[in-house]
Amino acid sequence: MAKNISAPLARTSRLLDLVPFLNTHQGISLKELAAKFDVTTAQMSSDLTTLWMCGLPGYTPLELMDLEFESGFVTIRNAPTLSKPRSISFDEGVALLLGLDLLAGSVEQNRQDLITAVENLKQKISKLIDIPVTISASPKSSPAIAAVLNEALAKKSYLSLQYHSLYRDEITDRIIQPLELIDENDNQYLRAFCFTAGAMRDFRIDRVLTAQISAEKPNTVASGVATKKLQFTIAFKKPSRDVIERFGINHTESSKELMLSAFSQQWIERSVMASGESVELLEPLNIRANIARKAQLILDRYKAN
Amino acid sequence: MHTVSRKIERLINLTIALLATKRYLTKSEIFRTVEGYEGSPETKERMFERDKDDLRTLGIEIEVGSFDPLFNDEAGYRIRSEKYQLDLGEISPTEISLLSLAASAWEGAALADAAQSAILKLNSIGVPADAIDLPAISPKLSNSSEELKVITAAIAQSDFLQFSYLSSDLVVADRKVIPFALSTKSGFWYINAVDQDVQEARTFRLDRIQGSIEIKENKEEFDFPIEHGNQGLIVNSSEGVARIDVRKGKAHSLRVFALSTEDLGEWDQITVPINGLDSLVTQILWHGEDVFVQEPTGLREKVIAQLEALVIAHG
Repeated sequence: MAKNISAPLARTSRLLDLVPFLNTHQGISLKELAAKFDVTTAQMSSDLTTLWMCGLPGYTPLELMDLEFESGFVTIRNAPTLSKPRSISFDEGVALLLGLDLLAGSVEQNRQDLITAVENLKQKISKLIDIPVTISASPKSSPAIAAVLNEALAKKSYLSLQYHSLYRDEITDRIIQPLELIDENDNQYLRAFCFTAGAMRDFRIDRVLTAQISAEKPNTVASGVATKKLQFTIAFKKPSRDVIERFGINHTESSKELMLSAFSQQWIERSVMASGESVELLEPLNIRANIARKAQLILDRYKAN
Repeated sequence: MHTVSRKIERLINLTIALLATKRYLTKSEIFRTVEGYEGSPETKERMFERDKDDLRTLGIEIEVGSFDPLFNDEAGYRIRSEKYQLDLGEISPTEISLLSLAASAWEGAALADAAQSAILKLNSIGVPADAIDLPAISPKLSNSSEELKVITAAIAQSDFLQFSYLSSDLVVADRKVIPFALSTKSGFWYINAVDQDVQEARTFRLDRIQGSIEIKENKEEFDFPIEHGNQGLIVNSSEGVARIDVRKGKAHSLRVFALSTEDLGEWDQITVPINGLDSLVTQILWHGEDVFVQEPTGLREKVIAQLEALVIAHG
């Protein structure tokens, strides 16, 4: 279950799964077979050779499995005992259950048929591995928006977006030409040419608020400015978990002064403000002065009201 | 190398023999007929014991029984095919596709191997996958630790988990819990568990666990806390409502929680639930001059105290 199994056992497991797979994929090439099981072709050949020696007691040609291995293509006969796939393991079931739950949250609402199918599968799997359905996963982005982005990628069409830029705290309207999807730091981004900025931009998918396919070709606007990382130095005066997670550092580092970097001045300002008494920004001095000025401004407002 | 292959052959032959038999096979029958059992009676005995353990490790259930329950005769062994084989009942091509899609969510994440081997088994059923439109933006599970396996095993068996946890004030303390739910939201993994020290349900974020997680067998009965639903496992009890002014077009991440919105011209006045006063203070400070707290007084005072500290530190 949770334990790691030894190499010979992993191989036994693979051989047991190989028989039913061959049974439903007669004549598959050795190369494809090896790729399916994520082993080298040499390893797969050796696996097949071992299988050759296995069968029912008696071990005459009548009882041995009949593997054909002709010019790189594999067929199997006479393996009725192992012909059905093995029951799924606990880990496999958990992987499927969590994946299904994630899927359930990302299917569009108008596909009630798929939603029902996913629910049924969840019930079946949880029964098989005997775990209550208390494991759950929810997608980060809305299924409706994902559907539009998919369509634009497939048709190479233009998109008009409403995008929430977190650091500037602005919702902007943009017209983009989506190019590809990238996964980074556990987030999905849409890499696109942004006609509004006149430059390449990555849009975090869970921050896209609305998306529509746009018919007309937009005009290119002024070219954008390249982003450069800003350095800043911070002192932790009263570190808390909240603060170290915000600045992305380890809790053992939180007693020191640290030099960090960020892409945006707004992010630095907001992060320091949000941390309140816990941190002090030492450098750069202009951002430091900004923070003091802003905090004083807000304070004055509270005093007046 | 050679002896390793022999062992694998023997394990497979044993599986085949125990699956094919309609009745229990005794040990002596197994030693006589299944290829690979050689040496002295003690050697064979040891081999067989180890082989049984190995097959069980692979999740293959070996049933022990005897021919005649009235006599205390030699025990026999068999593998029931209904236990060995995957039985998902009637399954459609669409369902196969959905399961494949579910498994692909693990690409590069903790249970990728398990998901991959599940897919191989599903593809071995002989039902072809349906060509449902596989979207390019299919959901992905965030890269999580190997610990997921330990956690799910503990949930299934109501076992204890022990780990060191980073508390909100940066103290690392040992926890002993019985987990009952696992969930992922916004890229973070959470365990819901009954903390054994306080005997109350608590939520733990996986990336705040320091070091490894240990599983300890629990022999006692465990009742699932009933109040948690299937969805919304991460429930915070609300501590009332705050009334906040937010500038037009700003503070979107606060607005999404708004219970009500009133148009004040240049500003809007919203009410939001308070789920933890400190985290609301943080959110308000993050939004700077675009947010102004009206009520409650406690929240205002906290915000003002933090602002004063900022002015003193940076002025």
